[in-house]
Amino acid sequence: MSSSNRTRTLVATLVAASITLLFMLPMLWLVVSAFRPQADIFRYLSPLSFEAIVPTRVTLDNFAALFEKSFGRALFNSVFVAAVAVAIGLFVNSLAAFALSAIEFPGRRIVFVVVVVSFLVPFESIAIPLSDTVRSIGLDNGYPALIAPGVANGFAIFLLRQFFLAVPWELADAARLDGANLWQIYRHVYLPLNKAPMIGAGIMIFIFQWQAYLWPLLVTNSPQLEVAPVALAKLIGQFDFDAGQMFAGAVLLAIIPALVILPLQRHFTRSVARTGNK
Amino acid sequence: MSTLASDRRSARIARTAGERARRRKNLRAATLFLLPALSFLVVFRLAPIVIVVRDSFRATGEWVGLENFRFLFESGVFRESLLVTLRFNLIVNPLQVTIAIVLALAIADGARRAGLWQTLNLLPIAVPLAVSAVVWGVAFRPDDGIVNAVLAAVGLPDQPWLTSPDQALMAIIILASWVGVGYWSLFLVAGLHQITPSVVEAAALDGAGYWRTLRSVRLPLMRRALAFVLVADTVVNLLLFAPIQILTRGGPEGSTNVAMFDAYRTAFVFDDLALAAAQTVLLIAVVLLIVAVQFRLLNAPSVGDES
Repeated sequence: MSSSNRTRTLVATLVAASITLLFMLPMLWLVVSAFRPQADIFRYLSPLSFEAIVPTRVTLDNFAALFEKSFGRALFNSVFVAAVAVAIGLFVNSLAAFALSAIEFPGRRIVFVVVVVSFLVPFESIAIPLSDTVRSIGLDNGYPALIAPGVANGFAIFLLRQFFLAVPWELADAARLDGANLWQIYRHVYLPLNKAPMIGAGIMIFIFQWQAYLWPLLVTNSPQLEVAPVALAKLIGQFDFDAGQMFAGAVLLAIIPALVILPLQRHFTRSVARTGNK
Repeated sequence: MSTLASDRRSARIARTAGERARRRKNLRAATLFLLPALSFLVVFRLAPIVIVVRDSFRATGEWVGLENFRFLFESGVFRESLLVTLRFNLIVNPLQVTIAIVLALAIADGARRAGLWQTLNLLPIAVPLAVSAVVWGVAFRPDDGIVNAVLAAVGLPDQPWLTSPDQALMAIIILASWVGVGYWSLFLVAGLHQITPSVVEAAALDGAGYWRTLRSVRLPLMRRALAFVLVADTVVNLLLFAPIQILTRGGPEGSTNVAMFDAYRTAFVFDDLALAAAQTVLLIAVVLLIVAVQFRLLNAPSVGDES
């Protein structure tokens, strides 16, 4: 039995490692190229040698050149827009989830159905007519236009509601007997008990904003408001296309969510697993 | 006994009266809690749906009934774009889900360093799709891209990739799979972990081999996670936009002109918002149809289901 188990572990490890390797090769090439002088980027490709994915001469020139081209501004826009959307979005969505789970009121089911419908229709599919509305009321070309569609997230409300429903009602009742009002119950009972789902909801809102490409393209045309994915995509269209800067930009855009999300994500799955076990 | 019952009844009347007052008070409170999120949802999700449906029946502000839809179905470009979308989705979704299942099985079946593989495979989703598209655009360059360099290293001839009507769609499929597989496998690993080990052990004791157990026990038991991934992945790919807009603009020769990009082009290149609205309505209809199928799959009863 233990020998067949060992074979199984070995095969599983081999399969997982080879798939990962396949997916990480382009990533490795991307990262190594970002720290390479422009002249070296395509140097090890024909014929292909292992230096293509191993650092040789390391330089930060690509990053420096990128920031001279106001990529810093675009990066700031992206981070700013995502941060504001996460802050407002977590507050607004958790309030709604609290109402849908802790308060009994007539019409609760209908409101919940509205929330579900809102995330069944993907945002991309309504972005075009919505941008038309935003433009016609003169809200385009501003941070509010970039931030607003990412604030309310039906999926985040749904996620938070599921977890809020699992909060033992005795806790809320005890707080009520102590004279706490609904706001205080939300603030001092529900939020502290649901840190992990709040992180999950925050990640959802963050990814929505961080990935945004079509929407910024639709509602902004001023360079001051350009978000990083749009700015970087424009690099490829220019005739003086610089691959090194493009790789450097890609690394910057990947590293920020990786630094923020990956440690939080582990925390999130752990706590989800815990709830599942009991 | 009768006093007891009447006591109870009066108690209930008092309670329902109090209940009604409490529910009214609750409604006020709930409205306050819901107002911010609901206003955002109404303005940025629900109103556009209503507007797009209305606009799809109009042309230059006038009601034209199904004229836009008739025009679309008679247009060769639109029918062609539907075929491209279909072809794209029939390949990319099974491909991504299959690799994601293999990866998830390996991770759930006790691969060493499982957390490391899982974390690494999540990295591509952290890169904005628009940026992955640009990176892969360089990788696919026919003359100096790394993809052809790898092919040359194993003795294969250079391929035209994005510049060829025969290969551009395949290049987009590779790119989309690189982004999605690790992300989707995360949900499948969760689904596999939910299966009670004793069920699988029982199947093994009954003499079922690995494949038999996988097909008859494990895959059916992770049906919910699998259905979610299959449908969410399909929705994402039905609406794929950024790589097309950045790399191929629907070309060469319309070979990557998927429906979402075609709608964008109708709106912003040909400046026909009404026609774009009709295209959007059709896209939403397809997506909702798929979600409806998902709910059927999720609710379908199955033998040995644990809830």
